[in-house]
Amino acid sequence: IKNDMIQPQTHLNVADNSRARELMCIQIIGASNRRYAHIGDVIVAVIKDAVPNMPLERSELVRAVIVRTCKELKRDNGMIIRYDDNAAVVIDQEGNSKGTRVFGAIARDSIHHFEKMQKKVKKANKNF
Amino acid sequence: MRLEKCWFCSSTIYPGHGIQFVRNDAKIFRFCRSKCHKNFKMKRNPRKVKWTKAYRRLHGKDMTQDATFEFERKRNRPERYDRNLTENTLKAIKVIDKVRSRREETHIKNRMKGKKSKITKEALKELDQQIHMIKAPGAMVKDASATTSAKVTVKVQHDTDENRMEE
Repeated sequence: IKNDMIQPQTHLNVADNSRARELMCIQIIGASNRRYAHIGDVIVAVIKDAVPNMPLERSELVRAVIVRTCKELKRDNGMIIRYDDNAAVVIDQEGNSKGTRVFGAIARDSIHHFEKMQKKVKKANKNF
Repeated sequence: MRLEKCWFCSSTIYPGHGIQFVRNDAKIFRFCRSKCHKNFKMKRNPRKVKWTKAYRRLHGKDMTQDATFEFERKRNRPERYDRNLTENTLKAIKVIDKVRSRREETHIKNRMKGKKSKITKEALKELDQQIHMIKAPGAMVKDASATTSAKVTVKVQHDTDENRMEE
């Protein structure tokens, strides 16, 4: 049971160290003209703000996985979790994260597809 | 499954209830119901909100220090399942709960002591001022025994046997 709240034009913080700082969602991967994305969905995003002089630049198209949403995430065990912001982790076409570290709290639901990322996150953060 | 405490009001949160808010510094705030959640969003300090346990403990309304609180500490290491241990724990929980609630009641009772004179004073005042709620004003004049300090002036007649009027 998921939450739906990220749509095109939504600005998202970047939760890893891939040198992008803010993304704007453009498209949601899954079906054409899909309206909303939730935690764990892959989106196509434009980099709106990046750390200067780094490989990822402003107005570059990237893919990202949504890891935090302000809209509550409902779990099957009845737990409802809400985060403080909307955040995503930049990934490439195969699903490997572009950064090496992940910041902040991350929903377990968001990365259960991405096994390589799971290992990275488990090393660094607390999972929820 | 773990029973958590609401961050705002300190009541237990059972599974399926409430919302957890995860701040970006990974601190988790658990709320038992939307009332507490909304108060938190309003940035209210639970220590200043009168109906929360935090306020009550801080202002001495509820018992703060007791041996029975030690039993309910949060343990992060899971215990290996042992049937005897579980049974004994369940029995102990009941007993400890009973003892603790009894002690909390006595704490509150002790706090409320010394109010008897205040209560009687208030009752007398209410009798004076609110007697019209029970008795009609006309009836008060006839029967002045209902009020303690009657505002009706009464002529004091020294009644001799001959002059006594029939009532």
